[in-house]
Amino acid sequence: MNDENHIRTPVADTFRRKSPFGQLFEHMCKVKECVCILGDGVEKYYKGDYKDFSNVAEKVSKLEHEADLIKSNIRNHLPSHLFMPVDKGKFMWALREQDAILDHADNLVNMLDMRHTKIPKELQNLFIEHCKLVVKTVEAMEDAVCNLRDLVETSFVKREREQTKEFIYKVHEFEYKADIKKYEMTKGIYKLEKKLNPMDVYHLLKIADWVDDIADHAENVADWLRAMIAK
Amino acid sequence: MIDPIWLIIGGASAIAFYMAWSIGSNDVANSMATAVGAKAITFKQAVIIAGVLNFVGAVFVGSHVSDTVRKGIITTTSIPNDILLLGFVASLLAAAIWVTLSTWKSMPISTTHSIIGALMGFGIIAGGFSAVQWGEVGRVTSSWILSPIAGCILAFFIFKIIVKTIFAKERPVKSAKIVGPIIFGFTAFLIVSSLFLKTCLSKTFNISNVHTIIIAFLSAVIVALIGIFLLRNIKEKGPEDYATVESIFRKLQVGTSCYVAFAHGANDVANAIGPVASIIPLAQGLSIGDQVMVPTWLLALGGIGIAFGCMTWGRRVMQTVGKKITSLTNTRGFSVDFGAATTVLICSKLGLPISTSHTVVGAVIGVGLARGLEAVDLSVIKKIVVSWAITLPVAAGTSIGIFLLLKTIVGG
Repeated sequence: MNDENHIRTPVADTFRRKSPFGQLFEHMCKVKECVCILGDGVEKYYKGDYKDFSNVAEKVSKLEHEADLIKSNIRNHLPSHLFMPVDKGKFMWALREQDAILDHADNLVNMLDMRHTKIPKELQNLFIEHCKLVVKTVEAMEDAVCNLRDLVETSFVKREREQTKEFIYKVHEFEYKADIKKYEMTKGIYKLEKKLNPMDVYHLLKIADWVDDIADHAENVADWLRAMIAK
Repeated sequence: MIDPIWLIIGGASAIAFYMAWSIGSNDVANSMATAVGAKAITFKQAVIIAGVLNFVGAVFVGSHVSDTVRKGIITTTSIPNDILLLGFVASLLAAAIWVTLSTWKSMPISTTHSIIGALMGFGIIAGGFSAVQWGEVGRVTSSWILSPIAGCILAFFIFKIIVKTIFAKERPVKSAKIVGPIIFGFTAFLIVSSLFLKTCLSKTFNISNVHTIIIAFLSAVIVALIGIFLLRNIKEKGPEDYATVESIFRKLQVGTSCYVAFAHGANDVANAIGPVASIIPLAQGLSIGDQVMVPTWLLALGGIGIAFGCMTWGRRVMQTVGKKITSLTNTRGFSVDFGAATTVLICSKLGLPISTSHTVVGAVIGVGLARGLEAVDLSVIKKIVVSWAITLPVAAGTSIGIFLLLKTIVGG
């Protein structure tokens, strides 16, 4: 390993240069940045301001790509002889779901950018509220993931586990609220179906789904996190 | 004209000094690196601590293991003295060559395994299989398996104690201020008792075992109280202030890194000077059994060699290793140091030559198993086992070769 150094270092060989948890946080930072941009961008879009949206789409795609690199880096450097304080499989699933948030965000902005669909005045507020709830779900997930740092530091003591669980409940709560909002939106869209052209209806329904998917995956991250810390 | 005896002694001492240098530059630096990597001490401090305390450990506690190396592996009575003399020189040289080669190739071999392997090889060729004290060799080799496991178990439990008594508490900082010094007092107990139990110090000052325990207990209490006193002003900066807990252990780890250096000196000095301790009486025409104790000046030579190695090449090793193990925080580093050093020190007192680096690895794995580390690469275990399996035959073979060569030169 250190051929150019000519030293015997069995102690150093037991360590990894990069910690998998550190990289998970790095990946999460990309999610955070992305969802922040996405939240603002989509809200503007809902209000009918399409001017900067291509820009938003570009930024989100770039972040998605950067996060992808981190993800494959983690995945490629978790060999079977690596011992982690949590189940490696669950860790990988959490990472995968966290990455799915970005995939869906990327998909959403690109689809929105392809066809600028005007949100009917009656539904505008509902759409914006829904988007905010989804962003909140992701933010709650970020808090839960962040608490992993304390969990590792304290070697998973009960107090920290309870705290993480509380963060996870919040994720569920927001996701549930977002779901309810989504049904209200869908109902609203069906009410207006006579007024709107079919393509608009289709796209509006799709938008509701796409945005909601992000919250679903944030919830999945939280669920895997919960499984990871279960005793 | 110089007496050839002194040439032999001088030559052997030179090789021994080289071995000590190599131990100091590589192995000591390796085990000090846990403290450097956890940022408890700087490189400069590590070099000073390692130098001074290895010397102290070597001089005061190093004789037990040296005794095993010089007369525990081979039956010295059945082999003629001049053959023994050649054999010890050959073993020392063979071990030195193998250590140099494996260092060059970055293989995680142990100097201890090299010297024992070399001695066994020479014993077999000089006096047949019966010349090797297989019972003692069995005890030593089983200690090579048991010492990493013991380091692992000790580190595991110390870390669990830290978690249960500090991290799990409502106010971790407050608990750390008390628990930290108490564990540290326990360390002081072990060090002091090792210094006075059956060593030259206890003879000089005429201290009995019971007195040793009392002295050790008192120093433990004093050290713990001083620790609690010194830490009294540390305030927690809020709930869940783990950073302050770590900073308390950063201070304590300065102490445990001294402990590591001390234990290291006590055990590993024998690898370098054990054979020389046999050569000296032989060269003077005495038999090995005549001399009761390993001469102190020789232990000191080994100690200086280790310190010198640490100061010269050790800095680079510590830097390289320290950079790689930055994920080791102070509570973890403390546990690793404690587990490893305690195992090494106990083995030193039992006269068992073990590999310090492998014991440190065991301790790191112990903390990992206690869910204390983000990731532990267990493939290192395989590497160590392989290096083990290679070292014994290679060192033995080289030793046999050099021995036969020397015999032809001298005898021819």
